[in-house]
Amino acid sequence: MNTSNSLPPSLGDRARTFIKRHDVRMSFLYSSVITLVFVFLGLWFYPKFMPEVMSEQMQNGKEVIVYFTVISAPVAGLVLGIALYTFLNRHKGDTPPPDGPAIRTNNPVVLVWTIVSSLFCLVAIVWGLVEMNVSSSEAADKAPNAIVVEVTGSQWVWNFNYPDYGFSSDKLNLPIDRPVVFRITSVDVNHSFWPVQLGVKVDANRHAITTARTTPNVLGSIDIKCAELCGLYHAYMESEGEIMTASDFNSWVTAEGGHTA
Amino acid sequence: MQAVAKGSSKVLLSATLSVLLGVGVVAGVGYTLNKASDDGRAPVIATMAGNIDTPKGNMPHAIATLSVYADAESSGGAHGPDGGSHPGYVTYGPSNDLVLPAHSLVTITINGYDGGETLNTPFFGKVIGTVDGSMDVDGKKITSLGMTEVQHTFTIHSLPTSSQDPLFVNIPLSKQPDDAMEKFDADGTLPAPVVTTFSFYTGGVGEYVWNCEFPCGDGTYAKFGAAMSKYGYMSGKVSVVEHI
Repeated sequence: MNTSNSLPPSLGDRARTFIKRHDVRMSFLYSSVITLVFVFLGLWFYPKFMPEVMSEQMQNGKEVIVYFTVISAPVAGLVLGIALYTFLNRHKGDTPPPDGPAIRTNNPVVLVWTIVSSLFCLVAIVWGLVEMNVSSSEAADKAPNAIVVEVTGSQWVWNFNYPDYGFSSDKLNLPIDRPVVFRITSVDVNHSFWPVQLGVKVDANRHAITTARTTPNVLGSIDIKCAELCGLYHAYMESEGEIMTASDFNSWVTAEGGHTA
Repeated sequence: MQAVAKGSSKVLLSATLSVLLGVGVVAGVGYTLNKASDDGRAPVIATMAGNIDTPKGNMPHAIATLSVYADAESSGGAHGPDGGSHPGYVTYGPSNDLVLPAHSLVTITINGYDGGETLNTPFFGKVIGTVDGSMDVDGKKITSLGMTEVQHTFTIHSLPTSSQDPLFVNIPLSKQPDDAMEKFDADGTLPAPVVTTFSFYTGGVGEYVWNCEFPCGDGTYAKFGAAMSKYGYMSGKVSVVEHI
């Protein structure tokens, strides 16, 4: 009796056998190609279609989207690679093949996917906490010089009150390189205040004031949208704004009937 | 071999039918939505009234008239002789869609027949976007109304797209006295209208919308339900066209 034949194969033997299988190699090939496609999309393609970056918050948001797309590319690649191989080699004909042997579990695989998934989640959590902390610290440092804008959403128009300057407007114009504190609310249903190029998107809720901060750092036009489906003319709940020089901003304030602070 | 060919044609047929079904569903939803936004009434087309001197120079002048009623039943047939499917809805009339000429001075007169309560925000009590920041109410020049003096607003706005000129106009309409509305409620007699006239400039060709910012719908959605959330009552389209 040959006792060596009855020993179960080692983990290394099983891994070597596994990677020599044709289906595994082809699935890996497909997964690698798809991963590279997503990395390309994440690094070069998607950013071309993102809004212009006009604040540090928007820059941070853009970087998070790019990095997270790259990080998640292997996961998407693996799933789609196996799916693609399976689809291309699906059974054809009337006689289905017999079922394979039942598999209860595979400890190494379970261990790997648990650890990898946990690491991905941990990266996302730590990244978010660090970004939030940096953003809060910077906002606190800049608070004394901040301009306050009271943002009110109503079906289906935004309006902006500048309490330090004593006027309201349907436009959101801001001076460049000056911190701004948005105090956001709604007078009817829930809206979502989204000055796209500034990287801010905050719910506007009735009977509540929510605060958001940013510092515009590029001159130019901004789009203000509602990002919460809010009724008949939600699609038209958009306003325009501009990041302008301090002198242009003061001129605009005067033209709108306000007084310079 | 024949079985494989038969299977392939089944797959092809199923795929084709699935695609056709998907296209049909999308087309059906699009048609339904488009139908819902068209109440079938002819738009109010502004009347050209020659040229006029303005602070921006001499330009074509167009005029149009709208009215706003406490309910569709008393709207002079804006929604049919009996007020249509929602006779109790507050409504503008005779139509809610306006056609205006581009690069012109437009003067709109609104006859207001309704009472009011309180605006949600003082912002919409201000006159915004008119030639000199004012409107004419029963012969008086006014730049704003208090939050409790308004019956409705006429607020034009648009998508901030680079393909058309921006247009934002807000007109608060002065409300009817309480006793006039009590008489209307009692015997249906329309009060003498509060006549509001205002002028603004149009830019190039574009598509805009307007809606009332006074919470005059039913109790749902913070009084923005019912008439406020249905096409053809307290909102509409503004089409700025090259020529009328």
